[in-house]
Amino acid sequence: MLLLQILLNGLVTAGIYALLAIGFGMVYRSLRFFHIAYGAVYTAGAYILYVFYCKLGFPLVIAIFLGIAFSVILGILMDTIAYLPLEKKGATAGVLFIASLGTYIVIVNLIALLFGNEVKVVLEGIQPSFNIGPLILTRLQAIQFIVAWGTVLLFWLAIRKNLTVKALWAMGEAPVLLKVLGFSWKRLRIYAFGISSAIAALASILVALDVGIDPHVGMHAILTGAVAMLVGGMENYWAWVGGAFLLAMCQALSIWKFSARWQDALTFAILILTLLFRPQGLFSPLKRREER
Amino acid sequence: MNYLVHIAIMIEIYIMLALSLNLVLGFGGLMSLCHAAFYGIGAYATTLFMLHFHVSFLPAVAFSLAFTAVIAFLLSFPALRFRGDPFVLVTLGFQIIIYAILYNWISLTRGPYGIPGIPRPEIFGFQITSIKEYFVLASVFLVIIFIFLIPIYNSPYGLTLKALREDEIAAESLGKSAFRSFLTAFVLAGALASIPGSLYATYVTYIDPTSFTIDESIFQLTILLVGGSGNLKGPVAGAIFMVVLPEALRFLGLPSSIAPNVRQIIYGLLLIVFMFFRPQGFLGEYKVR
Repeated sequence: MLLLQILLNGLVTAGIYALLAIGFGMVYRSLRFFHIAYGAVYTAGAYILYVFYCKLGFPLVIAIFLGIAFSVILGILMDTIAYLPLEKKGATAGVLFIASLGTYIVIVNLIALLFGNEVKVVLEGIQPSFNIGPLILTRLQAIQFIVAWGTVLLFWLAIRKNLTVKALWAMGEAPVLLKVLGFSWKRLRIYAFGISSAIAALASILVALDVGIDPHVGMHAILTGAVAMLVGGMENYWAWVGGAFLLAMCQALSIWKFSARWQDALTFAILILTLLFRPQGLFSPLKRREER
Repeated sequence: MNYLVHIAIMIEIYIMLALSLNLVLGFGGLMSLCHAAFYGIGAYATTLFMLHFHVSFLPAVAFSLAFTAVIAFLLSFPALRFRGDPFVLVTLGFQIIIYAILYNWISLTRGPYGIPGIPRPEIFGFQITSIKEYFVLASVFLVIIFIFLIPIYNSPYGLTLKALREDEIAAESLGKSAFRSFLTAFVLAGALASIPGSLYATYVTYIDPTSFTIDESIFQLTILLVGGSGNLKGPVAGAIFMVVLPEALRFLGLPSSIAPNVRQIIYGLLLIVFMFFRPQGFLGEYKVR
């Protein structure tokens, strides 16, 4: 029974991780560089919610909406101010990675400067919970579960049906061909950063409502997202989700067997083992060398 | 006066770290994010050898050097199969795993409580206690590292690494093994990072895992990116600049509560600005790719 409860909690966490993997993957797969400032967007989303809800007294739903909206603006600004000019100068992935790391450091420390380094609680008091048979699920967990997995499904539908998202997905495979077909590369970039930032903010808000925020949560979030995506495999949407699911389950089981303190080490042990033995990802088919 | 000597010692420690990381980043062109892990392994190994086995300072330094070299050797097998992003991620993962071990293996490392009361070094019966004597000791080690590394920097091996950095396939076609050259660079860099670790532990006489975090690795990377890498002067200039900068900020009269964050913001801005205008740093010759 304890095992079932742990698996249920793992399933809720897996939804959040899947969001992180999708948000990170949208940029990494389309533009092929390691957008580590995604972690800063994640942190900022939760802090904007905190400002509007706790400090300015907006209703929760509006505060959540504003949090997501501002994060989208922040993500697009990063691209227009930092990445796009760099790419115009012919910057390589390494340069973009370092610039992104610099952006992350600046934003996170600005947040720490404004709000302090300590944990901020968004929702006070104990959350009501339901019993499903012998299992317990808090109301927030239920919301996390529905919103996160709902978004995962919706996004899958968008990839299948919506032309823009389809084009974004294709950008990862043949960026030059897209220009030939008449898509604006700049506009697609804006969409990629916008969507990824919106998903980051959604994930961070779902987590912040539950456990609160501090300025340094972003690094953990981006690493989790990146590892989930790479463990699953970069080429396939459901492989990302599968990677997130596997990661969350391993962490849940490790909490049960050892303790929560080894989570980060476990995450990266899984990544290193995957890269060693199945570099294309656990749930991705092997590709011929010419196809890569 | 003691304050200036303290800064000088920290500069020397960071020059050693920068010069060793330079082999991997500046010469090899591999962006490693786990240098603080080797630094930490060196510091902890020296401390534990001295406290548990009661060996004196120099043998402890030698043991921890060998121990760190073995760990770097083992890590290089998974890490050097990759270039680019996967290499960064594997080294980052190693850094996080080492931090988790230092933090959580409480029976060995005392975890977050840290290890206090590390004895000051004693060399051939001469006890080093004052900060000025310590400065002399660190200088001696720095000179040894210079004498050791400068010939390597200028050797055919150094040139091989640079050739591999510029074009791996072309260099391999000339009969230079990328794996073997990078392996040597990685092990040398890791082992040499343990020496500043030993010096730091016995200088401060207290260590805890927070000195060897991912942020520290990023800081050491920043030294090379700002100062420049791939030669001798870049890392030295970077280390001096990056250690002196926060001390200079101190005189601007920032409240101590916000000083660390302001410092970090300046580091972040430096990274962005250098990537825009000078990807090889002040004095470096390796351009980040």
